[in-house]
Amino acid sequence: MSAGATARIRRPITAARRDAAIGTVGVVIALVVWELAARALEGGFALAAPTAVVASIVDNAGLLGRALAATGTTALLGFVIGNGAAVALGALAAAWPRSERTITGLALIVVCLPLVATAPLLRVLLGQGDGPSIALAALSVYYTTLIPLLVGLRAVPSTWLDLVQVAGRGPLTALVTVRARASLPYLAAGLQIAAPAAFLGAMVGEFTGAERGLGVLTIRAARDLDVDLTWALATIAAVISMAAYGLIGIIARRLAGGEPPTILAAPRLGSGRGRLRATLVGAGSAVIAAIVLWWGGIVAFDITPFVARTPIDVIGIVTGTRDGGETRDALLGALAETAVFVVPGYLAGLLAGLALAILVVLVPGTTGAVMPIAIALRSVPIVTTVPLIVLLLGRGPVGAIAITAVMVFFPTLVACLHGLRRAPGQVLDVMKVYATPAWRVLLQARIPAMLPAFFAAARMGVPAAVLAVTAAEWLATGTGIGALMALSASLSDYDVLAGAVVIVTVISAVGYALVGAIETRVLARYAPEQSG
Amino acid sequence: MAERRTLSRRTLIGAGIFGAVGIGAATAVGVGVANRGGGAGSAALQLSWLHSVQFGGSYIALDRGYWSEAGLDVSLLQGGPNAPVEPPVVSGQALVGVSAVDFAAAAVAEGATFKIIGAAMQNNPTVIASLPDNPVNEPGDLLGKRIGMALANVPALETLCTLNNIDVNEIEIVPTQYTAQPLTSGEVDCLLCWETDLPVAMEVQGVESVTMLMADFGFTLQSQTYIATEESLRDRRDEVVAMMAGEVRGWEEYRRDTDAAAALSVEMFPDAGLDLETQRLQAARQVPLMFSELTDEIGFGFWNDDVIASNIETLALLGQTVTPDLWDTSILEEVHGS
Repeated sequence: MSAGATARIRRPITAARRDAAIGTVGVVIALVVWELAARALEGGFALAAPTAVVASIVDNAGLLGRALAATGTTALLGFVIGNGAAVALGALAAAWPRSERTITGLALIVVCLPLVATAPLLRVLLGQGDGPSIALAALSVYYTTLIPLLVGLRAVPSTWLDLVQVAGRGPLTALVTVRARASLPYLAAGLQIAAPAAFLGAMVGEFTGAERGLGVLTIRAARDLDVDLTWALATIAAVISMAAYGLIGIIARRLAGGEPPTILAAPRLGSGRGRLRATLVGAGSAVIAAIVLWWGGIVAFDITPFVARTPIDVIGIVTGTRDGGETRDALLGALAETAVFVVPGYLAGLLAGLALAILVVLVPGTTGAVMPIAIALRSVPIVTTVPLIVLLLGRGPVGAIAITAVMVFFPTLVACLHGLRRAPGQVLDVMKVYATPAWRVLLQARIPAMLPAFFAAARMGVPAAVLAVTAAEWLATGTGIGALMALSASLSDYDVLAGAVVIVTVISAVGYALVGAIETRVLARYAPEQSG
Repeated sequence: MAERRTLSRRTLIGAGIFGAVGIGAATAVGVGVANRGGGAGSAALQLSWLHSVQFGGSYIALDRGYWSEAGLDVSLLQGGPNAPVEPPVVSGQALVGVSAVDFAAAAVAEGATFKIIGAAMQNNPTVIASLPDNPVNEPGDLLGKRIGMALANVPALETLCTLNNIDVNEIEIVPTQYTAQPLTSGEVDCLLCWETDLPVAMEVQGVESVTMLMADFGFTLQSQTYIATEESLRDRRDEVVAMMAGEVRGWEEYRRDTDAAAALSVEMFPDAGLDLETQRLQAARQVPLMFSELTDEIGFGFWNDDVIASNIETLALLGQTVTPDLWDTSILEEVHGS
């Protein structure tokens, strides 16, 4: 601990200044490249130069200010509700460990719901107003907060918990006095990722018929071929997201006292078979809970049968007893089209995030240049970047793959950075004493320490990739399951919509479980002390 | 020091949990209230897209009090790219919805009890837009071209080809959405879009374009049709009549001065980012689609049996089987006093 503490004291004075300097240079270079690219592409109505963006912001200051206030309010409400729910669920899971698998399972099911299909349903459910935007912002954040939080609540030396037990106190005391404190850095990491996500969620929510906001203006600007305004909107969204990301980082460092501490948590007890059984029981109870909520929701909110489909209806659609399998076959055909984009995009995003994180750690000072661009990429709304990506990479598969990769890449980068820096200080000190080369430190100390964070990101990347690819298909390519869901909403084909929601959710959840299974194997081999 | 910080954190986390639960409960209650809908004498009109002069007649009716004079408090509900019109009308959140014949027919096939009670656009506004140096003036020009369109509209293109004896396989379909940018950047040769939408955007940006109205080549399909459920037509008939009477007056006023309608749209929705010049052009362009010799004779929004027959024919080519029962003339008859 002491070595780490000294390092932390020394770091801000030199490294922060260096990071800031490199960051400034990086941003300036990016702006110049942007301006030149825009001039080169002039007349194509795809990219606006920074100077034109500034002019557009000044010209439309009032309009943009009101839109920002509207979207900012819904994003903030969604951020508070979504993260509040994550904290409440995390606390419940920690206080009552038996519920954890049910909670994470149910949370996973909800996050896997494809928003292209759920957004119009939210409008039906919540009626007029900001309801859908707030709900989508909340849905975009709660999961990426809940998962690191649960890791954090567990990341407690077992001796501390023993102490609580010796004092004759129960899990609740342990939660409040020990676990809550230990989880704060992890909560902070989740909240940081949540800020850009909330903004994006609120903007997409506005597509369901909101009266005002940045999302509404984005559609309008794209349709009016107002490229300057389109990029002005994207710039505002990106700047706000970066500011929120930075601000939460500063608050977190003040409150939680730095990066997540190094803790070698004891491996989870229990044999392989017992663990498998617990997982199956957890998954089963989560599915039952989801079905109860689904069916109960239809009854409680008295949703019109024109829109609502019960689990029995969906079983009929999937087995083909309802319409001879016509809907099911259409869904499977569309899914096959989607798979071509989503799998390579997902893998590319993971690799890019990992590679960049390693680069940042190996080459000190690159953080300042890399992070702003990474956050900007993640927070610029898909509707805006799509024309440019399409122009650069074509309307074919490469564009959709790139959009998916961008969505997966950012959370992976953040998680890997946190992970790489979590290498135990003592180990690093020993290696330093022996003058171990940087690449060996990376390979033997940092990467094993990073693996749990990487896999957490890889798991969360599955629903993120599905979300990205369906949004890209809906807004740009018009193919695959994303376009089919949007089309069936306008054709009132709620059989297809319900079938799509269930099938996409199941596939996402299975993909998540698959990554989890790989994780268990890899961790058992390379980082057994961390396979908590 | 350390002790105090722990305490504040504890308080913080506790407050966070209670806050989350509280907000969740409040949201649930809010949802319940929102779903109840308005009281007597108030009704909502669900629009099919974002606010713009596309609905200028409705804005005039609201602004000049055509509805409030009749004792009806109307709210206009905006649509959007991911906001289907039919569910709010089915659930009763909206009394009347602005849809299109094909979407209404599809909803009826799925069990909705809609009737089409009026048609703001007598003719379909779908065009093939192209650039003057590589124009599409008639369906035959489409052969060998790349067309940018939402895949949702492929049945419409196929129907146009069938009506004009063209092989649709000789046209390369490129999926695009929401913007004319693929045409201006040369990615495609033409776009399937609305006469009043992307061509106007290009004109404002100084890009000249050529449009071919699909309705001129047999693609007969009413658009911006008003839909209401059979239950509403039975139980809230007076309100539906008042709603449509206001619409008719509003659109007749719109026709008299489209520039005023454009100005009103910009003024009423300052947050919608509407550009006055774009709105003026759009307002003028949609007049020929909404008014014809037939409507001069029988009134705005109305049709005759021939129109219905051609609509049914086009729908059949689109794969939808409908009967004249889909249309209900009784509301407009009451409005026009015939």
